[in-house]
Amino acid sequence: MEIIEKIKTNKSNDNQTEIQKICLHKLQSSPLPNPKSELWRLSNKSKLSNFLDYSINEKDSKFDIPYPKNSQSTIRLIIGENCQIKLIEKNYSIQQLSEDELQNYIKEQISFFKQNENWSELLNLSLSCKNNILGLKINGSKIPPIEIFSHASSNSLSAKTLVIFLEKNCDVELLQVNLGKENSSLSQTTFFCLKENSYVNHGVVSYGENRSNLLNSLNVIQQKNSTYNLGSLHFKFNYARFEINIKQSAGNAKTNIKGMQITKKDEQISTYTKIEFNGPDGFLDQINKSLADDRSHAIFEGSIIVPKIAQRTDASQLSRNLLLSNLAQIDTKPQLEIIADDVKCKHGATISQLNEEELFYMRTRGVTLAEASKLQLSSYFQEIISFIPISKDRWDLLDKLLNEN
Amino acid sequence: MVNENLVKDVVKEPYKYGFVTDIETEKIEKGLNEDIIKLISQKKEEPEFLLDFRLKAFKKWQKMKEPNWAALGYKKIDYQDIIYYSAPKQKEKISSLDEVDPKLLETFDKLGIPLTEQKKLTNVAVDAVFDSVSIATTFREELAEHGVIFCSISEAVKNHADLIEKYLGTVVPASDNYFAALNSAVFSDGSFVYIPKGVTCPMDLSSYFRINSGDSGQFERTLIIAEESSSVSYLEGCTAPMFDTNTLHAAVVELVALDDASIKYSTVQNWYAGDEEGVGGIFNFVTKRGKCLGKRSKISWSQVETGSAITWKYPSCLLLGEESVGEFYSVALTNNLQQADTGTKMIHIGPKTKSTIVSKGISAGNSKNSYRGLVKMGTKATGSRNYSQCDSMLIGDQASANTFPYIKSQQPNSEIEHEASTCRISEDQLFYLQSRGIEFEEAVSMMVSGFCRDVFNQLPMEFAAEADKLLALKLEGSVG
Repeated sequence: MEIIEKIKTNKSNDNQTEIQKICLHKLQSSPLPNPKSELWRLSNKSKLSNFLDYSINEKDSKFDIPYPKNSQSTIRLIIGENCQIKLIEKNYSIQQLSEDELQNYIKEQISFFKQNENWSELLNLSLSCKNNILGLKINGSKIPPIEIFSHASSNSLSAKTLVIFLEKNCDVELLQVNLGKENSSLSQTTFFCLKENSYVNHGVVSYGENRSNLLNSLNVIQQKNSTYNLGSLHFKFNYARFEINIKQSAGNAKTNIKGMQITKKDEQISTYTKIEFNGPDGFLDQINKSLADDRSHAIFEGSIIVPKIAQRTDASQLSRNLLLSNLAQIDTKPQLEIIADDVKCKHGATISQLNEEELFYMRTRGVTLAEASKLQLSSYFQEIISFIPISKDRWDLLDKLLNEN
Repeated sequence: MVNENLVKDVVKEPYKYGFVTDIETEKIEKGLNEDIIKLISQKKEEPEFLLDFRLKAFKKWQKMKEPNWAALGYKKIDYQDIIYYSAPKQKEKISSLDEVDPKLLETFDKLGIPLTEQKKLTNVAVDAVFDSVSIATTFREELAEHGVIFCSISEAVKNHADLIEKYLGTVVPASDNYFAALNSAVFSDGSFVYIPKGVTCPMDLSSYFRINSGDSGQFERTLIIAEESSSVSYLEGCTAPMFDTNTLHAAVVELVALDDASIKYSTVQNWYAGDEEGVGGIFNFVTKRGKCLGKRSKISWSQVETGSAITWKYPSCLLLGEESVGEFYSVALTNNLQQADTGTKMIHIGPKTKSTIVSKGISAGNSKNSYRGLVKMGTKATGSRNYSQCDSMLIGDQASANTFPYIKSQQPNSEIEHEASTCRISEDQLFYLQSRGIEFEEAVSMMVSGFCRDVFNQLPMEFAAEADKLLALKLEGSVG
């Protein structure tokens, strides 16, 4: 674990930004997360160490977008490609955050970080160089869809950071695509700040090639009356963790999350979510689906935290899991921590295989077993995929998933 | 609009069983070391194997750390400041109940436990445990006619050493966890039940645990063995006096069910919970586990947890036998500053095993009530099924309710379903009941009772009535 050694022996140098210095300092005393803690106990230690085995890469090779752009209006951005972004139109504006704004915001976030809970973010920010941090301020409405790409080249570790401010009354569709090339590690951290009355459909699609790893963390702060919709899909990673932290800072906001992870071979993909309601009248509807095949391991841990102030919170969380092989395993742990009394909170979890009765029904109608399984899986996937913005029109994820099954 | 204060008043009820019996007791000195363990073993005239078992457990305990993963906060326990053996002084040998100290009989009478012969009509055999020793076991002859052995574990060690040696520690090994290791080292008394092949126990068996002294811990151990095609229903009740200090209770219960056997284990736990400021109360750290060893065997846990300052308890089932069944029905009520972290573990190992979990938590005052449960499907548990339901009810805005279900599956041909919800006492329902002329307190009580109905239905009849009454009492408050 070359990187950990570097962190341990780190001597600050002039190339490091202030944020890098702060994060490195925080990590120095215990550079790895506590393997016994709830957040890390199921994480595969050797896979995590494999993640850290690659040397850090600050400049990527040329990046090819994995699917054609067939609508002129889409705005495409690639993190790490040094470009100036300043789009000011009649209805909207997209501008890069000034260095001060970016620094101050990230520093404020770091002040709340704990070594173990925010290890992925701390690692990301201590490795992410200036070029690989993209900060955007989005304002207005009728904004064309935005696509943001983040990738890791073969045989290296890349750290990319994205900070997005959605100004008041802003309404946007944004798709984030994380790609891992063969034998690579990608550390992606995203900060999302939704101001009052803003609305976003956020999609996160992460897929890797052979033996690629991903640590993806997403931190969202929602102010009053904002709506945050997240559709996510993670697949084909040797090791991937998706950590979602959402805070409704003053309540009265809406959060909808639909996520899916697909594991095969000996892959391990996990999703950890923590949703905090810091004010009354919050709303959450979350569903997380996993599919585990071969010798793989899928993990979901979700916690909903409702303190006393968050009266009239309405939160529901569902974890649905398909286990398709004798050697695969699924762990799921939906949690509720509630102090407020006037709340409606519920969660559910199921683990099963494909429904035999449905399969039988289709087979009696002359559909082959393979076709019938495919049909069932497509309906299982469809609910999530249709929730991911943009991609559903032009990037046929469903086909991609089914044909690989 | 519900008057919050009214609801809070309703859940206040003084502890009825807080009296102390003034009786001469024999205590050993405080502290825990090998000599103390040898002394306990010597006092109980135990065979060599048991002393070995205790000493090995003690060695393991010394190397272990007190667990801190539960959502509980309590002051550090000083294990050297506890008396590990305390017994009421009595004559050498008791041959009948008439020789039991009348003060003790009176104590159990006050608690509503039928020890005396005239109360035989209730048809429940009772083993009464006072501090560290068993005082009396009723209906022994009647049970013996059917071949059922029901006695204190100390007696079983003397008279049925072969069974103890064969089964003790097979379900909960001494090194299982910190508190189980402590119990294995110092356990003083408890109940032993053996149901022979093909026998359906003719009456319910019951143990009643009473802590009387404030500075001694209670470490009882219960072992129930149900041979092929036998069945038994076992009830357990607990109370303690009110002291300003915290008393430690670390028990271990082991159940073994062989082919086609069924064991139903019900608990109404009403240890002293401490006062409104959280002073005093029992620290209740219990390891309960059943092993469904045989095919089609069944173990059912039902519990009503209303007492204790701290509850740490996860009655579990190891489902090894094909088509074996595990059940867990629980009501946990916490009030004032009580904290409960309770739930179950259903480990499916054999094929076609089934388990059901129904847990109802009610948190009032400043209390903390957590459900923590594990459902695990092993690789060989084909065709197995689990259903879990965890509901929490919050009374007042200071109480907290947490749900931590751990679900793990390694077998595609099995199904797990889990659902949980949290709610408060519905204003609409309260309004409806009140508009029909039902008093506020009664309406709250009815709704709580209705909330717990699924669990109460699983309790033996006498217990169901007691549990309902107990909850009603806890919720009665101002009306009295």
